Amino acid sequence: MSDETQEIIGDYRYGFHDPENSTIRFDKGLSEQVVRDISELKDEPEWMTEIRVKAFRHFTERVMPEWGNCDLLNMIDFENITYFLRSSDQTEKSWDDVPDDIKNTFDRLGIPEAEQKWLGGVTAQYESEAVYHSIREDLEEQGVIFLDMDSGLKQYPELVKKYFGTVIPHSDNKFSALNTAVWSGGSFLYIPKGVSVEMPVQAYFRINAKNMGQFERTLIIADEGSTVHYVEGCTAPSYSTDSLHSAVVELIAMEGAKIRYSTVQNWSSNVYNLVTKRAVAHKNATVEWVDGNIGSKLTMKYPSVLLKGEGAHAEVISVAYAGKGQHQDTGAKVHHLASNTTSNILSKSISKDGGRSSYRGLLQVTPKSTGCRSKVVCDALILDGGSRSDTYPTMEIGNSTSDLEHEASVSKVSSDQLFYLMSRGFTEDEAMGLIVNGFFEPFTRELPMEYAVELNKLLELEMEGSIG
Amino acid sequence: MIYQKMAIPPRSEHLWRYTPWPRIHPSSTDEVPEVDDVTFSLSTEHELESISHSATTHEDIARAFLQSAGGSNNRLIISEESEPIHIDARASGHVAVGHLHLDVKASCVVLIHLIGEPEWVGIHITGKVHPNVQFSFGFINELDSNTKFLRCEDWIVERDAELEHATLSIGGFRCKSDLRSTLNGTGSTIRQSVTANAVGPRHDDEHVEIHHLHGHTNSDLVMNSACSGSSHFIATGLLTIAEGANKTDASQVFRNLLLSEKARAEAIPELEVLADDVSAAHGAATAPVDKNQMHYLMSRGLSPDESQSLIVSGFLLNAFSNLSNKYLTEEMKTRLTVHLECELKR
Repeated sequence: MSDETQEIIGDYRYGFHDPENSTIRFDKGLSEQVVRDISELKDEPEWMTEIRVKAFRHFTERVMPEWGNCDLLNMIDFENITYFLRSSDQTEKSWDDVPDDIKNTFDRLGIPEAEQKWLGGVTAQYESEAVYHSIREDLEEQGVIFLDMDSGLKQYPELVKKYFGTVIPHSDNKFSALNTAVWSGGSFLYIPKGVSVEMPVQAYFRINAKNMGQFERTLIIADEGSTVHYVEGCTAPSYSTDSLHSAVVELIAMEGAKIRYSTVQNWSSNVYNLVTKRAVAHKNATVEWVDGNIGSKLTMKYPSVLLKGEGAHAEVISVAYAGKGQHQDTGAKVHHLASNTTSNILSKSISKDGGRSSYRGLLQVTPKSTGCRSKVVCDALILDGGSRSDTYPTMEIGNSTSDLEHEASVSKVSSDQLFYLMSRGFTEDEAMGLIVNGFFEPFTRELPMEYAVELNKLLELEMEGSIG
Repeated sequence: MIYQKMAIPPRSEHLWRYTPWPRIHPSSTDEVPEVDDVTFSLSTEHELESISHSATTHEDIARAFLQSAGGSNNRLIISEESEPIHIDARASGHVAVGHLHLDVKASCVVLIHLIGEPEWVGIHITGKVHPNVQFSFGFINELDSNTKFLRCEDWIVERDAELEHATLSIGGFRCKSDLRSTLNGTGSTIRQSVTANAVGPRHDDEHVEIHHLHGHTNSDLVMNSACSGSSHFIATGLLTIAEGANKTDASQVFRNLLLSEKARAEAIPELEVLADDVSAAHGAATAPVDKNQMHYLMSRGLSPDESQSLIVSGFLLNAFSNLSNKYLTEEMKTRLTVHLECELKR
């Protein structure tokens, strides 16, 4: 491992990479032919090819965002990215059949073990496509469809056609256009009416190759009265060159349905993480985004909910940790499009070693949406000089019957709290770690236990040496 | 930069998102119309010095436009402590522009009362509060209800100086204010309040920036608005704390009271913090009139209109509670109370 790479990896425990054994690898660079080739390779229906091409044209015409961290954004070299890389010829249903090198990676990440213990289904995506996929038989018998997105399109083309791009059209932003043009992998999850999936289903995304672009597409449809908890984890090796992760996630919660989407994103610090996540909540439906952002070079992610039906509810809990050379530009958007809808947003961030965290949010109540209620709370900790924290909230209120609140604070760790813990025998590092874990506690308590423990460990690692 | 060479700012900039430049410009955006002077007259014996327009260029399009347009240009130097100074600013003609620079070397109170009926009025006020000076400044916009109004202010507050800044925005049809202050020395403080009563079709866009460049500086911003009819109130704030400006204490609170179905309010309180040992907070709340409060007042014999007016009055007057200068506070409260009583009688 080169010194340069070692420097980038630092304490990042998932920074290892395996030798690349791809069965198909496209040349770097993006063109209409690349888009058509991806579609042809996957033997997709013509309508999907047309959507891809249309999205590609929109991507080339659309300028880069003129807000956010433009300096970092403009450093992305779209011609130096591999847009498709197949590591395994098929998606396996048993870990034993997954190629050894890939299986070793997921073993090291603890995925097969987690599946046995507490998951209802797993998709493991390596580079551009899923290499492993399984779902518990009892869920399958109840009519739950949990597939990787490519298989979903093959097996349920009408269902995919009906909902694909309805929540996030390709013209939404430059990166949703890019994703629609070159998407590959991701999850397709459909929960039938009244079915409650009690154990979480999980997708795990791993980038292994250098200068790789991962563009998974996830579509979750929870039919009337159903509930589901979807968990997503992400890691990548550390290289001295950059990779791009640009996913699109669309959630549709029908009347009375409940979707919880939990993410612990822990990309290495050479990954651009530019993700569009949006949900539609119909009458009395609930959508919850539980979003943790620990790694990456630049993350721009604002999980959104369109509250379309009366009585719908949105809940967004997000945390961000911005370390050396990182910019976590995260937040949440809630659009109250129907009456008597409610939402809560809780955002917490920590900046350390020159890192920058930004909260960017939007709360909108349309003139006809009466009786809406919402509360937004943003808390930020800055742990040292040279680090930065920003808050850019927007509240647009269109009628006089709604009640909305926003509050935010930026501060450092209280010396009283540190003193109290150290007087009980903790070292400064331990005390700081405890305080930070406590600061993130409203987020970790919403995660499945295994994820919460893992997140606490990650934070402890990140906090090592944070004093002095 | 010269105005004519400037690009129209995009709506992606928060400053121009809700009141784009073409909507506040007096005519077509490539034009700089001929303007009349806004005249300033003082209640005291202080002398206003007429000065020529400087060649300073502005990066901001509104300031660059006001500079290109010309109009009256005056300087007031306050070098000794004095009784409160009332300045009547009178706008007349079709399009009127005025520039005023305040050089504050001694503690005092200045109150500007802007009136007039032109179609368009532009005001640019700049000021410097010298070290150790306590300065209180009030601005009352009571323009005609058909007037478009653009107001820019730039303040520099030096070491251990205090600026108390109050705005009462009750006039004009479409108003855009861009108020910027820089805390330029250790120990400097700004306490700022903006109170707006948006009635009928009034559109009021208030942008406040406070920049903490040094440590041990304090700022406190309160913006309260009451919106009725089909009015639209926009409050945007940018609070920055520079790297190394430790021991800074900054807060901004935006509150909107929505009184009718068609009234709208936006709140964007932004924070950019680059120092670690600071306390920075902001809050925003938007809500209708509390039904319990209405019920309480009506059960004491007040009519619904009187009850609502009383609640609105209490709410708006509360915006001045962070100011410490009694004279300034009382003047602003009196003007607001008179305005609300007139509104109630309409």
